[in-house]
Amino acid sequence: MPEGDGYDYKIEAKAYTASSSGASVSPAESPDQELYHSKSWWTTYVFSQDAKYIGIQYFCAATAIAVLGLVLSVLMRVQLAYPGLNVLDPSTYYQAITMHGMIMVIFFLTALFLGGFGNFLIPLMCGARDMVFPYVNMMSFWIFLLSLLVLVASYLVPGGPTGAGWTLYPPQVITAGTPGNLWGLVLMLVSIVLFVVGFTMGGLNYVITVLQARTRGMTLMRMPLSVWGIFVATIIALLAFPALLVGGLMLLLDTVLGTSFYMPAIIATSNFGNEVSTEGGSPLLFQHLFWFFGHPEVYIVALPAFGIVSDLISVHARRNIFGYRMMVWAIIAIAALSFIVWAHHMYIAGFTPWFGFFFASTTLMIAIPTGIKMYNWLLTLWRGNIRFTVPMLFALAFFITFLNGGLTGMFMGNVGTDIALSDTYFVVAHFHFTIGIAPVLVVFGAVYHWFPLATGRMLDEGLGKIHFWITFVGAYMIYFPMHYQGLQGVPRRYFEMYNSSQASSSGLNEFITIVTIVVALSQLIFFYNIINSARAGKKAKKNPWDANSLEWQTPEMPPKHGNWGRTLPVVYRWPYDFNVPGASKDYIPQNVSPSQVRGAKAERT
Amino acid sequence: MLKHYKKQSHEIGVYLWIWGLLFVFSFFSYMVDYLNFEGTFRWTLIVIFMLSKAALIMAIFMHLFWERYAIVNVLLWPMTLMLLFVGIMAAESEYTLFTRLFYFIAGS
Amino acid sequence: MNRSTLPKGWDGFAHDWAADQKVFKGMSWGKAMMWIFLLSDTFIFSCLLISLLTGRASTAVSWPDASVVFGLEVFGVSVPLLLIAIMTFVLISSSGTMAIAVKYGYEKNRKLCTIFLLLTALCGAAFVSMQAFEWTKLIVHEGVSPWGNPFGAEQFGAFFFMITGFHGTHVTIGVIFLLIMARKVWRGDFDSGRRGYFTTMKSDYLAIEIMGLYWHFVDLVWVFIFAFFYLW
Repeated sequence: MPEGDGYDYKIEAKAYTASSSGASVSPAESPDQELYHSKSWWTTYVFSQDAKYIGIQYFCAATAIAVLGLVLSVLMRVQLAYPGLNVLDPSTYYQAITMHGMIMVIFFLTALFLGGFGNFLIPLMCGARDMVFPYVNMMSFWIFLLSLLVLVASYLVPGGPTGAGWTLYPPQVITAGTPGNLWGLVLMLVSIVLFVVGFTMGGLNYVITVLQARTRGMTLMRMPLSVWGIFVATIIALLAFPALLVGGLMLLLDTVLGTSFYMPAIIATSNFGNEVSTEGGSPLLFQHLFWFFGHPEVYIVALPAFGIVSDLISVHARRNIFGYRMMVWAIIAIAALSFIVWAHHMYIAGFTPWFGFFFASTTLMIAIPTGIKMYNWLLTLWRGNIRFTVPMLFALAFFITFLNGGLTGMFMGNVGTDIALSDTYFVVAHFHFTIGIAPVLVVFGAVYHWFPLATGRMLDEGLGKIHFWITFVGAYMIYFPMHYQGLQGVPRRYFEMYNSSQASSSGLNEFITIVTIVVALSQLIFFYNIINSARAGKKAKKNPWDANSLEWQTPEMPPKHGNWGRTLPVVYRWPYDFNVPGASKDYIPQNVSPSQVRGAKAERT
Repeated sequence: MLKHYKKQSHEIGVYLWIWGLLFVFSFFSYMVDYLNFEGTFRWTLIVIFMLSKAALIMAIFMHLFWERYAIVNVLLWPMTLMLLFVGIMAAESEYTLFTRLFYFIAGS
Repeated sequence: MNRSTLPKGWDGFAHDWAADQKVFKGMSWGKAMMWIFLLSDTFIFSCLLISLLTGRASTAVSWPDASVVFGLEVFGVSVPLLLIAIMTFVLISSSGTMAIAVKYGYEKNRKLCTIFLLLTALCGAAFVSMQAFEWTKLIVHEGVSPWGNPFGAEQFGAFFFMITGFHGTHVTIGVIFLLIMARKVWRGDFDSGRRGYFTTMKSDYLAIEIMGLYWHFVDLVWVFIFAFFYLW
């Protein structure tokens, strides 16, 4: 540190001596954020710069595209169970697979967790007035919406959307015969590039808001685990999406210009009418780039779910989260490990043989931090005062589902078993349990939990429970039999089983399909509940779940623009002070100073 | 506004010095090509000059030398992921080349 | 009081991460955001360069010799990589002027700050022009295209146009923002607190340092492209 850098450290110094109300809280380090104040209906509700509105916009857009993904999956199930109906032909089946995968992983779950919950929760939970750059945040949403439109537009171009599977493996994705190998692929890649650009604008906001715009007293180790999950997932995304961007860019050039980044010598392809000969490209390069993004992507979806579910369990079991610091470090460890395991998706790709050992070892290592989280959730529930509210039910369902998916992950991570199980329904069951059903259950739980904060009204509890049981039991009935099918060797991505030995699973296929239709229709209950409750639901009291975290402590509920009224809250404790011995109530919000709860033997973290 | 933040104002001489050094290193790396060094020696020299230039730019021009460790560590540690990626891809590309030569030439 | 109250080095590292409000003490939101963006961008360029080296190492066809392809004839003598050397020289010069512009920005020296910003933009524009010249020469005179070239492996052209194109785009965006910044400084926006056209927010001289970070990053990336594409 050379002399004379001119930084005014006086404020810092005061912090160590200040001791009002028994606890020292540093004074504000930077001036209060100046907010954009909208002047018209358009800038308030449509081109909104308020993170809460942007979060809801993200939520609605992502849910809308998820409905498309859901419809596609129902069509695929009908085709598998009743091939005679011919609802899809091979091309449209592949296109449905591709779009379903891409929509659900990237445009639904990533956008929903980071764009939706991130925008809504981060400023409120950190005690900020808004995201640090509201204008950029707004742009992020509109670029995301544009990417959605481009994606959907691929159904309108000649050839339809690309049908190479969501992994978009070249050379197959480009070669003639694959549905949508020209326009469909171009639109898909453009859409991805737009998504990455839009996400980066939002993601920088989330990260910097957490790092630089927390309120006084809010240390990193006092943040709710929801924020930790979303924050770390955003960092992963900022470092992983570049690989997708580069991989996609090169694929785009291969498609449009006829370069041969990925195209090996044996392939002659036509692109947009011109016969192009290619040679010397490496298809494996794309797989590496794709999975260098693709595996972290799994945790981009999973970590926010981990974080949110920790909060749901803690609040609704009225018990402090067990091993908070361990939970934080587990999130960070999973994030770091997620970058060094990617090639376990490529065991059968023909890569360097001795990679198997390295990637299998790192993959199985992920079980350690994940196991820590599992046990900590369990120990949080242990002797807790569990309230079986709808959010709690969904949290518990997540717990069981993710455990199940995690255990099958042990099979997939090992090279030997993976080679046998690759491209069977076992894989389908595994990844739907881990990054399909489990995070979606958390999304539902989170919606039931935070709906009062967004609208000021409660969701209907009875409808919620019906929705929960159909969704949870239904999901198990859909995916559990797929393990069995997979072990029997039923391959994935086949649009029909024909008269093969796999025809024996056709009864099971019909069963799965019927349940799928029921579960898909039951989501209408959820949408009805949301629309009806937003309009005429029971008015929520302030802090309806008796939670501690800051988002429930705003002066008004739902919070107004700027969140905190005249003065920012000051934080004195972690968000998990439930059932503290000696305290008069069973919860102590984060902004309650120690002097206000004198009798309590409160943990000071 | 400015008074709340740490200022990065240093003697102009520092910048001129680093500027000069960057030219020197660029000249050296150019000479690696001009003098036609080959093989490991060439690659070692290239990497050394490249990293020296990068370090000077980051440390002085981008002020990382004067920044607190909190930001410096955030910026440098993720690079280990890229180093791993480089290592994996180096092995992978050699293997790809091996299989190509094996099947296209030796195998035909 | 003096700075010594805030721990330095590794103690400071622990202190800053354990503290409330800010992890990067004394750093503005914009600067922190630019740093994290640059980290993300670094990963983009790293992936590009890793792809380049992978493509180069795994192709069975011989890779063209960059120092011959990019050589120039000067007075009948062929000098290897001459244009690239000049481009490097220009870009490093621009980095130097940018660093000085940042210094004068902090000193609120409007006149000198504007001059050095404009000098930087000039160097940047010169760099892009030379790149355009190089592209034209390769495409028109030597028949190098993204899908093939007369010298060897066809990935050579593909990677060349993609990587230098991506870097050139960064330089171009940088030049545009340099000109905008120069105008703002010259007009005195940072002293008068004039609000931004799009964001409607006030800005100050911190913006110059953020601009500087971006510009130095563009230079930094060129160092790596120079090493891995032209020299390797």
